[in-house]
Amino acid sequence: MPKFKLDDYEIEFSPGETVIQAAERAGRSIPHYCWHPGLSVAANCRMCLVEVMPPPGRPALSLDVLRFDEKKGDYVKAKKPKLQPACQLAASDGMEIKSDTSEHVIEARAAVQEFLLLNHPVDCPICDQAGECRLQDYWLDHSGRSKRMRDEIIHKPKAVDFGPTIVYDAERCIVCTRCVRFCEEVVGDPVLDKRERGNLGEIVLAPGRKLDHAYTLMTEYVCPVGALTAKDFRFKARVWFLKSVKSICVGCATGCNSYTDFDPRDQTVYRYRPRENAAVNRYWMCDEGMLDYQRIRERRILRARVQSDPGASATDALHKAAALLKGPGLAVLLSAEHSSEDNVSVLELGKALGAEQFFMTGRPNGEGDNILRNADKNPNRRGILNLLPTVSSLAALEKAVEAGQVTRVLALGSAVDGSADFLRKVPVVALSVHDGPIAQAARVTLPAASWAEAQGTFTNAAGLSQVSEKAVNPPGDAQPGWRWALHLAGALGVSLPFTKGSEVRARVQPRPSTAPSAQA
Amino acid sequence: MTTQETFSSAEGLGPRKVQGKPLARPDRSVGVQAFIPALIGGLGQTIGRALVNTKEMVLGTRPDPVLEAINDGINTISYPEQRRPYPERFRGVHRLTQREDGSPRCVACLCCSTACPAQCIYIEAGDYEGDKKHAGYEKYPKRFVIDELRCIFCGFCVEACPCDAIRMDTGIHPAPYDSRDQFIYEKDLLLSIPGRHGDHESANPRIEPGEPGFPGITRLQHH
Repeated sequence: MPKFKLDDYEIEFSPGETVIQAAERAGRSIPHYCWHPGLSVAANCRMCLVEVMPPPGRPALSLDVLRFDEKKGDYVKAKKPKLQPACQLAASDGMEIKSDTSEHVIEARAAVQEFLLLNHPVDCPICDQAGECRLQDYWLDHSGRSKRMRDEIIHKPKAVDFGPTIVYDAERCIVCTRCVRFCEEVVGDPVLDKRERGNLGEIVLAPGRKLDHAYTLMTEYVCPVGALTAKDFRFKARVWFLKSVKSICVGCATGCNSYTDFDPRDQTVYRYRPRENAAVNRYWMCDEGMLDYQRIRERRILRARVQSDPGASATDALHKAAALLKGPGLAVLLSAEHSSEDNVSVLELGKALGAEQFFMTGRPNGEGDNILRNADKNPNRRGILNLLPTVSSLAALEKAVEAGQVTRVLALGSAVDGSADFLRKVPVVALSVHDGPIAQAARVTLPAASWAEAQGTFTNAAGLSQVSEKAVNPPGDAQPGWRWALHLAGALGVSLPFTKGSEVRARVQPRPSTAPSAQA
Repeated sequence: MTTQETFSSAEGLGPRKVQGKPLARPDRSVGVQAFIPALIGGLGQTIGRALVNTKEMVLGTRPDPVLEAINDGINTISYPEQRRPYPERFRGVHRLTQREDGSPRCVACLCCSTACPAQCIYIEAGDYEGDKKHAGYEKYPKRFVIDELRCIFCGFCVEACPCDAIRMDTGIHPAPYDSRDQFIYEKDLLLSIPGRHGDHESANPRIEPGEPGFPGITRLQHH
């Protein structure tokens, strides 16, 4: 593999890569604003300037400059090397590049930083980006001094309403055009553009349009500064209070990799952020997915419910559920909304109780596109099919209930892809997160933990199994599916092939090295 | 006893003989044991002091505790009628300063609650709405709660505040309330507490860009 030298490090690259790409991959990041690995190169922020050493025997590209001489008290003629943007510089074999070790690069970075902050209002206290802002980070790393301009700053439009989800502040904008390029290149909806130049430059909407495509929050997320802010997250939390766990978006069957950002103090999830995965979502996520955290708290079932007895305690509900499940004609209704862990727990409980008929449901189909969004809004349909390839649909369950083959149902999940009215005819014990059609029809409903409250494995439409970590504690009496399965098994006097969460996870989670032997 | 002493001293250990001048026994004469002269003397001093205090109170000539502290001798402060004045930089209970229009200067940046080692500050941020001057881009605290019982009065919140919105210059020390919820100071209460000079606005004026007095040169002045 060809190599180039960045400061004191040898960095390998594949032909065609730029210096910044290879450096980023090698973990020797070069500071940048406008460059984004998933977007085209604009080279307009000038933060990634590096010094390219001339080949042996060749003179360096240099510029004639005037430099202030302290001793003479006057400007003197000097030379300085012509710096080049690393994002636009194709790497070539044997190249020698100076970044952190070049005094010219260090000076240029400080100058660029000062330049970008010339007209910045420095309103970090009221800016949602504070804490994850490139301007803050790079100011500390590369500048650390106040600006020398004594003029009033250029005032530009503030709080411009870009659409239903986004607010734009032109004073904080560094006009890196990441948002413009994202809308054009990834979404294919060139709704943003740049107008004016120099210190009057700002991002504008196409006339008569709003930023209202399906990836507006991602447009906000690519913004390296606080110019674009999301209305949803606006003024809700300060990012330094938030903790992140690696999660999988459960909004659809694509299974985008995400971070769940939550406040550990009040156990509240505040947002989803995309997590890079070249095999699934690259760098992106859709609005639906990034706002999906809201669903965690919506219409939650916090206490066990018995339809005939509103005052029943959790123990009463458990015994009532056990009584309903005992007997012939038991069917298990799995949910493509839930993780494989939840599904396998309910499946094993059903098998232990002698169930022979298995059905699957989930959220109804929605809108899809050919970027990320899948029309199947269930994150784990493939996971259930892997567990149980012969599983039948909700319509088949309805027929079986009408025909009298099914006389009792153990159901998992909240939403159904069809009508759940027929479930009222038979006793149903449901493990539900939300108050949906299944919980409405069920004689006994036990509160299940949501996807953010338990570790779970989801298999996306492409067949890739991915693990989503636990972020917050389950609210109320909610518990993960395997715990309820164990409680029910205890009340019914049957034994399950697992006794703790790790054993359930071992049955479903992908383990490259040990998977074949463990499953056999 | 003697054997023991000999044994101990032979070993070089054990209790040594106490050497020193024997003290005179206290006077236990009848006059002293009866306590009567001392009793009369003590009562006389108490009554005399009471008379002096009453006279000073009536005439209003009670010495200033600060000036009295300069003199030699024991300084008496008749707390709570008389109080030693707190130093200028005493950190009392918090207050929230106001802008000219009476709205809080606080922009709900949460710097104070971040800096607070006791985690006693709770802030809920909100948007200025309608035709307010800062509507659209500035935050304000919808709720601002300080648990004065949990506060350790370190003053980090005042140091952290970028807007001079929280101050501890009230000169008030937290009162001993009789229930815990009285120590929970809400925004309205914090805004209503004046500084030690009775002011609600902070000493540092808040000048928006474009207003006269804004630091730096405006475009019009310059060009």
